[in-house]
Amino acid sequence: MLPSAFQRYARKAELITAFVLGKEATASSPIRQGIATYLHAAGIQAGYSFFAPNIPGYHRLTLELYYADGRVEYISPHLSGRAAALRLDSLLDRLADNRYEPIREVVVKMLAFSVWRDRPEVKKIRATFGTVSPPGIGDFEHGKRESFQPMFSYDFSLREEEKR
Amino acid sequence: MSEARSTKSETRQLALSSLPFALRFTSRRWWTRLLAFLFTAETDKWLAALRIGLGLQVTVYALFLRSDWHYLFASTGKGLVSRKLGEAITSFDSPLIPKLSWLVALGGYAHVGEDAVLSIAWACLLCMGVLLLLGLFSRPAAIIAWFLHLCAAESGGLFAYGADNFMTTGLFYLMLSPLPDRYSLDHWLLKVQLRDPQLLGFWRRVLQVHMCFVYFIGGLAKCLGSGWWDGSNLWRSLTRPPFNIISPEILVRFKYTLPILGISICLIELGYPFFIWIKKTRLFWLVCILAMHAAIGLAMGMYLFALVMIVLNLAAFGIGMSDGRSVSTQVTVGGSAEERSNVSGLAPGASPLSG
Repeated sequence: MLPSAFQRYARKAELITAFVLGKEATASSPIRQGIATYLHAAGIQAGYSFFAPNIPGYHRLTLELYYADGRVEYISPHLSGRAAALRLDSLLDRLADNRYEPIREVVVKMLAFSVWRDRPEVKKIRATFGTVSPPGIGDFEHGKRESFQPMFSYDFSLREEEKR
Repeated sequence: MSEARSTKSETRQLALSSLPFALRFTSRRWWTRLLAFLFTAETDKWLAALRIGLGLQVTVYALFLRSDWHYLFASTGKGLVSRKLGEAITSFDSPLIPKLSWLVALGGYAHVGEDAVLSIAWACLLCMGVLLLLGLFSRPAAIIAWFLHLCAAESGGLFAYGADNFMTTGLFYLMLSPLPDRYSLDHWLLKVQLRDPQLLGFWRRVLQVHMCFVYFIGGLAKCLGSGWWDGSNLWRSLTRPPFNIISPEILVRFKYTLPILGISICLIELGYPFFIWIKKTRLFWLVCILAMHAAIGLAMGMYLFALVMIVLNLAAFGIGMSDGRSVSTQVTVGGSAEERSNVSGLAPGASPLSG
């Protein structure tokens, strides 16, 4: 993001910040925990970017619901209120982040399970997560629409889950 | 010749010996100026704005999440994503960070189920919002609102976004600020005494510096992205779900304004920490930043985010900044309107840059 001339200084600043914030200490260190608690309590644990430097594509989770009678239905997890829907989108954007890779499958499984609870007759769910690349303004004027690039997918057999 | 040389060396010695004094003097002067900057006496108008604004914010937050509250914060197998997952991630940072599970565990001791605890937490949050709006039991209401909101924000950390962080920050400053203010029911009905105007000034300064930091970082990061200079980032932000309230066909009609708006946003945010302090440019910059947030709220549907940013800006630099009257005529301490405080210091809104 920064010009190459600043990279060295940025790296140094990052190291100093990490030290000041206690990130160099062990996870169980009271100093590190104390600083983390303060940062969360004051709402300053995350950086301020406001859609900066650039706006990435957004993400979509599509659930293919396979019913026992052979029907297939396509839906996405949803919430009733608009304010909550914004939060679901925030979750999906997080899932694409490599830092969330360890919990990705668990979260997708939970989202699939939440849909299954309303449709207990569903036999299997295939969850496909991917990035949606919207067209630029010029492309949009030429009739191009958004494209979907799958990143990963999971199959969940929910009858077995239920038995377990 | 030798006389001239000795005079020169004496002068040099004098200069050297006086250096620590000069340094001491300069540092003392800076320290005094810093204290004057931090502890400028202020009226409590800004605090009233912050209290009422955040009261409204908390109330709207609770009402907006009314139908999804349980679905968002239920534990494994009941909600959308287990609350416990979000809490586990938060606990990696620190187990001391408040979370809804604490309340659920507390309810467990009283044989109150999880659903009931979540309902009570929601109802309490709504009540605290209303109490803050009215200014009744202001400080306990601010503390409880901060705690409950923090619990929700941390337990639903996976669902959190910018508005949550700013709400936490706003409530954090509110509960630490010298409540109550003169417009609160606490002062009118319960006759709670007003607090030290210099303490009021200090907490306003903290909020002001915080806002400057926020916009400077946001503006700088935007300037480093190419998409803000040609308007493409504005197009992308306005066309991506769930922010796509305005149809793309309408946006295409105004495509030539997008680069201008994109550059304006960068400049407004980057220039905020400088021009907001200058008396002549303050109103213009404040109107620009408020208009930007109002537009974000209306055009992208981010009502909570827009509201909290407008409230924080109004409290930091809006209310009581440009009336120009001296503090001593406005600040009363001790609950009596007649009792004037002998406040010496800068006028409201004065800063090292405002001259």
